Amino acid sequence: MNKRLYVYVLIMMLIYAIAGCSRNSGNGIQVKGSDTMVNLVQAWAEEFDKENPGENISVTGGGSGTGISSLVNNSCDIVSSSRQMTAEETSLAVKNGITPKEYAVALDGIVVVVNPKNSVYKLTIDQLKDIFTGKIKNWKEIGGKDENIVLLSREINSGTHVFFKEHVLRKGNPKGPEEFASSCLLLPSSQAVADEVSQNSNAIGYYGMGYISKNQKIVAVAKNEGSAYMEPSIKTVQNNTYPISRPLFLYTKVDAKESIKKFIDFAFSKIGQEIVEKTDFVPIGRIKK
Amino acid sequence: MKKRFNPKTSQKIAFTILLLSALVTIIPVVVIIIVVIKNGISAISWEFLTSMPKNGMRAGGIFPAIVGTFYLTIGATIFSLPLGVLAAIYLSEYAKENRFTRILNLGIVNLAGVPSIVYGLFGLSLFVIYMKLGVSILSGCLTLAIMELPSIITATKTALNSVPKQFREVSLSLGATKWQTIRYAVLPYALPGIITGTVLSNARKTGETAPILFTVAAFYLPRLPSSVFDQTMALPYHLYVISTQIPGIEKNITYGTALVLIIFTLSLNLVGIIIRTRLRKQKKW
Repeated sequence: MNKRLYVYVLIMMLIYAIAGCSRNSGNGIQVKGSDTMVNLVQAWAEEFDKENPGENISVTGGGSGTGISSLVNNSCDIVSSSRQMTAEETSLAVKNGITPKEYAVALDGIVVVVNPKNSVYKLTIDQLKDIFTGKIKNWKEIGGKDENIVLLSREINSGTHVFFKEHVLRKGNPKGPEEFASSCLLLPSSQAVADEVSQNSNAIGYYGMGYISKNQKIVAVAKNEGSAYMEPSIKTVQNNTYPISRPLFLYTKVDAKESIKKFIDFAFSKIGQEIVEKTDFVPIGRIKK
Repeated sequence: MKKRFNPKTSQKIAFTILLLSALVTIIPVVVIIIVVIKNGISAISWEFLTSMPKNGMRAGGIFPAIVGTFYLTIGATIFSLPLGVLAAIYLSEYAKENRFTRILNLGIVNLAGVPSIVYGLFGLSLFVIYMKLGVSILSGCLTLAIMELPSIITATKTALNSVPKQFREVSLSLGATKWQTIRYAVLPYALPGIITGTVLSNARKTGETAPILFTVAAFYLPRLPSSVFDQTMALPYHLYVISTQIPGIEKNITYGTALVLIIFTLSLNLVGIIIRTRLRKQKKW
């Protein structure tokens, strides 16, 4: 009996020892990052796996910031990001011996939504800026009824949050002083924003085009007072007439292994770009192969 | 002083309040189970339990999440059970009562009070990044194992303490060494308690999302993990993901997943109880 116990302890020590060795980075492709893109990447992975069984691909969300920091830490292979990597993030990665390579794989319009009961249906960028910085507090100031505006945003880890801040609140100047109003509710996912807007008749929020549904009303947006109010669609995003649109990125290491490059190629392929459209994003327009 | 109530009346009032308190505590459990079963039972089918997710996880099954949770539960136990039991034996049988053991015990108690998200971040920094295990089943199991340790140690210590002192005295008086005493006169009788404690703590940890969030959980895998260095899907995280990230998913799939998770943890509890009664029958004193 005693002997068996010793053997067991020995086996345990062996397992601990193996655990101590570092990960053999041979198998699998880990994709991590943007919550906006996670359904798109999931659909890519599902289709990619049918064509390339055995590549062991795994998809994780968490936010663009989470993904980028794992690339910097070398704990994932591909990052999906709804914003560009900042210069600081790039230099941090380089310091860790990782040179990131950028691929713009799809386009996305950021949709501003209100409750279907709300009578407001169009806003200018300036009005949006004033609403989300807290300058405009009541719907009647912009043609709605006399009710306080409930602001909804994604949390700061979200690429959508960062993009909205830089391109709507700060109007393209990333270092601008404008911030979201402190009354703004930071929600953990785009779906949470969608759900809240459909329940709260005074709420206004924003999300990627993949989340458009009948339970929220899309607000047409104009660049400024004089220009046309546009609704987000494949056409308006591709020809850049919808004012709040952005590219979506994949990042890899420059010296990525062959299977990772294959996945990137797949994302750019005809099937990959069809999936982009099927998941309600906008194809990048120039299809490889 | 004037008596406001006669003792009989106040007794009745006290009883009613106590009874109501007891009833109120079970209301949430009952409501949760009813709601989950009512909304989720229609999703449960053989295909739901045994096939891969399809069509952006809106169709197909949750097989990889079930398998993943199974792997994590087993894996965490492999690491935590021996370490926890051995540590508990040392602490309750060998260690003398002094400042060192008091600090050790205090540490263990505090370990049990650490929020699960802290364990998650700890696992991320130690196992995933520092030890370079990557986001993998191994990292997840190790994180969960550390989280289980305090409850396993506490359960083992309680089980050891409940073995009557005379067992040890008799064994020692017959000339057995301390280790022999522990091995043959104490451990076998403490085993039911140890196993129950382990299984119960496992059942609870299985439902945790925070510790696996950064260390192992994947949003989606097209196939099952092939080694301990792969990521895996897991039921609690899958439930979180499909209820927050997937637009237009059928409600019964979400509730069905919740139902499977509840059944999974309840049946683990059941297994623990069955093992305990079996062992109790064999070892009686």
